[in-house]
Amino acid sequence: MSEQKFEPHIIAFVCNWCTYTGADLAGTSRLKYQPNVKLIKLPCTGRIDPVMIIKAFEKGADGVLVSGCHPGDCHYNAGNFHARRRWIMFHQLMDYIGIDSSRLHFSWVSASEGRKFVDVVNGFTDKVRAKGPFVKYQELNKEYAINE
Amino acid sequence: MNNLSQIISELLTGGKVTKVIGYVKSGSRSKPFISSKAEDAGKFIMDETCVNNLAVYLTKDEIMKQGKVAVVAKGCDIRAIVALIQENQIKRDDVYIIGVNCQGVKENFDSNVLAAKCTPCKVKTPAVYDVLIEMEKPKSEPSKENKKEEIEKISAMTDAERFEFFEKEFEKCIKCYACRQACPLCYCEQCIADKSVPRWIESSATKRGNMAWNIIRAFHLSGRCIGCNECERVCPQDIPLSLLNKKMSMVAFDEFGYEAGMDMDAPTLTGNYDIKDKEDFIQ
Amino acid sequence: MEEKIITKENLIKLSTDLVNEGFNVIAPSEKGYTLLQTDPLLSLSDSQPLPKSPFKGYLFPKTEPLFYYKKGQHDYEFVDVNLQNVKNIFLAAKPCDAASVNILSKVFNWDYKDEFFDIRADNSLVISMACSTSDEYCFCTSVGLSPVSTKGADLFMIPLAGDKYAIRIVTDKGKSFAEKYSKYFSDGNSVESEKVLAGIKAPEQSFDTAKVKDWLDKNFESEFWNGIAATCLACGQCAFSCPVCHCFDIVDEDYSYKEGRRMKNWDACQFGLFTEHASGHNPRDNQAKRYRQRISHKFKYYKDKFDEVLCTGCGRCTRGCPVSIDIKEIVTEINNLN
Repeated sequence: MSEQKFEPHIIAFVCNWCTYTGADLAGTSRLKYQPNVKLIKLPCTGRIDPVMIIKAFEKGADGVLVSGCHPGDCHYNAGNFHARRRWIMFHQLMDYIGIDSSRLHFSWVSASEGRKFVDVVNGFTDKVRAKGPFVKYQELNKEYAINE
Repeated sequence: MNNLSQIISELLTGGKVTKVIGYVKSGSRSKPFISSKAEDAGKFIMDETCVNNLAVYLTKDEIMKQGKVAVVAKGCDIRAIVALIQENQIKRDDVYIIGVNCQGVKENFDSNVLAAKCTPCKVKTPAVYDVLIEMEKPKSEPSKENKKEEIEKISAMTDAERFEFFEKEFEKCIKCYACRQACPLCYCEQCIADKSVPRWIESSATKRGNMAWNIIRAFHLSGRCIGCNECERVCPQDIPLSLLNKKMSMVAFDEFGYEAGMDMDAPTLTGNYDIKDKEDFIQ
Repeated sequence: MEEKIITKENLIKLSTDLVNEGFNVIAPSEKGYTLLQTDPLLSLSDSQPLPKSPFKGYLFPKTEPLFYYKKGQHDYEFVDVNLQNVKNIFLAAKPCDAASVNILSKVFNWDYKDEFFDIRADNSLVISMACSTSDEYCFCTSVGLSPVSTKGADLFMIPLAGDKYAIRIVTDKGKSFAEKYSKYFSDGNSVESEKVLAGIKAPEQSFDTAKVKDWLDKNFESEFWNGIAATCLACGQCAFSCPVCHCFDIVDEDYSYKEGRRMKNWDACQFGLFTEHASGHNPRDNQAKRYRQRISHKFKYYKDKFDEVLCTGCGRCTRGCPVSIDIKEIVTEINNLN
C-alpha cells in the first residue's frame, strides 16, 4: 500500500489587476503549474491586512503567497507601496514570534508575466512540500478538537 | 504642588480649558482624575506613583466634546499626544499640555524600583508642552532591567524556542482587552477583534484566538507604539507585552530610522511609503 | 464544629496522595490558584497573600466548549463534551474565594441548571484557611463575611503553633473526606484554635449592605451616578478577577470546514459593547451607566433574586484596576448618602 504523500495547501492573496491576470495568462497559454495553490483575488495588495494571512495559517494553510503589481505599476497608484512597507514590518514580526516566515512568500507578478507566475507558484510549492505541514500552527487548533 | 495647583486653578477659572485631566492621591498610589471645577485644583499631584498614560482619554468623545482640555503629561505621555496629532486624531489646539520634567515613575507599587521604561528614557524633559512643571523627586531607585537586551536574547533563540516561548505566554491571555483599552493609540471605533462578520480574531481565550489577537495587536501598533508600557502594566495575567511592542519599535527604527511621537509634523511610518523602500525579500 | 488536627508534614503527604489519586489539588501561590502537580515549588505559607486571580476559573473556565458539531451530508451531528473526570480540591483557599462557590451556584442553578458548573462544583472540595493577610483594599466584613468565615467551605483550616493546623468540619462532604483520610488526622479541641481566631485582624466594616440596597432601590436616576467612574477604561479587569462575576458570551467557532464547537467565554458588563443590540442601539452607552449596572447588580439585583450579595469583599477589582477605581469607596459613599 503506498503512503499518502504530503501535499501542501498554499493560499495565494493576489491583486486583481496584475497577478490574477498573470495567472489567467498562464492558463490561456496552457502553462502548467502545481494545483496546490488556491487563489484569493483582492482588488489590490494594499487591501491585504496581515490578519488575513494569520487566518489562512489558522485554517490550515501550509504556505501563504502574496503577490501584486510591480512598484510603479499599481492600478491604484500607490497600493502596493503601502503594502510593501507593511510586509517589511510583518515578516519581521512573524520571524520574531518564531512562525516560519519562509512559509510566507511575497512577489511582484505583472499581467504579462504568466511564465513568472508559474515559476513563483512551482518554486514556492516545492519549498513548502520540502518543509512539511505547518504542524506548529495547526496544533493550536487541536486544543478543543472533538475528543472521540 | 503649589505650582501645579495654581496652574490648574488659573486654567479653569479663566475658562481657558473646560476640564483638566491629571492625577490625585489614592492610598499609597495615585489615580487619574478629571475635573472641571476650579476648587478641585488643590487635589492634583505629580509624583513617582503617577504612572498612567492620560493621553488615552484624549480620543474619548465623552471627555473631549465640551472643548479644550488640559492634561498633565510626562515625556512618554506627550509622545502619545504627538503621535495622535500625527495621525489626525486630535489637533494641537484641542489640548493644553502641562508637561512634566519627569524623573521616573513606578509601575509596581509593592517595590521601590522605578519602571524599566524610565531608565533609557530620552524624553525626561519633553520637547512639546504649554507649561512645564517639576515633579516630586522619586524615592525609588532606577531599574536595572534592560528590555533591549532581553529582546536581543529572544531574537537569538531558534525559531522553535521562540514560538514555544510566545505560545506559553499567550496561553495565559484571558482576552480581557485591557491592553487595548489602556493604549492611547488603540483608538479605533470598531476594533477588528470586535468584528463578528467576518470573525477575523476569535474572542475565545483559546491558544489559537490568543495567538491571533496578540500578533495582530502588535502588528497594528508597529511603527506607532510610543513605549509607555501601559499595556504590560495593566495586563492581569502578566504577559510581557513590551517584548513584542518594543521589538516592533526597534524594527521601525532600524529599518526606517523612524520613532513615533517625536515630531508632530513627521509623516507616520505605516501611513506613508517611500518608492525606495527595500524589497530584497520580494521575488 | 468537630475539629481535627493535622501536622504540616502530614498535610504535604496527604496532598501528594491526592495528586497521585488523580485529584487536581489547587492551592494559592503568587501566580494565582495553581495546580500543585505543575508547581512543585508550592509551599503552604500561613501568610500567603491573596492570589491575584480567584479560583473561579476551575469551576467556570475563561473559555470552554459547550458542545461540538459535525456537518454531515444533510444535517448536523452534535457531540457532547466529556466532563466526568474533573475532581478538584481547593486547598488553603481564602475565605472570600471559598464563599464564591455558594454564591455562584445560585445563578448557575436558577432557570437553567448549568451542568458544566454543577459537575465541577459537585466534584470539588473546598478547604479554606483563616486569613491573616487582609490589607487596605479588603472589605469582606462589609459584605457579611470575615477572615474566619466558613461560608462555602467543606473544611476550614486554622494555622496553629508548631507547624500544625486545626481542621474544622463544616459540611457532610468535608466529613466524608476527613473519614476517608483519617490516617492523617488526629483529634483536636477548639481551645488553641479559638485563641488564634480571636487574634486575627479583620478589616473594619465600611458599609452596611442593607442601607446600600435601600438607597439603590430608590435611586436609579440619581445625580450621584453622573460622571461616576469617568476615568474607567472599560478594560474588564474587575469582572475577570472577581470571584463571583459570572457574565458570559456564547460564540460558535469552527475547527475545520466540517467541524466546530460552541464556546462559552467570560464577558464583562464594563465592556462598551456588552449591551449593544443587533440593531446597533446600545442602552448602556456610557461608562456611568455601565458602572451603575455593576454596583446595582452586585448590591441590589442579586440580593433581590437570590438573597445574596454578589461580592465577597476580596478587593481584587480595586487592586488590579489600572485607574484605581475603588468600589469600597463608592459603595461607602452610597451608604453615607442614606
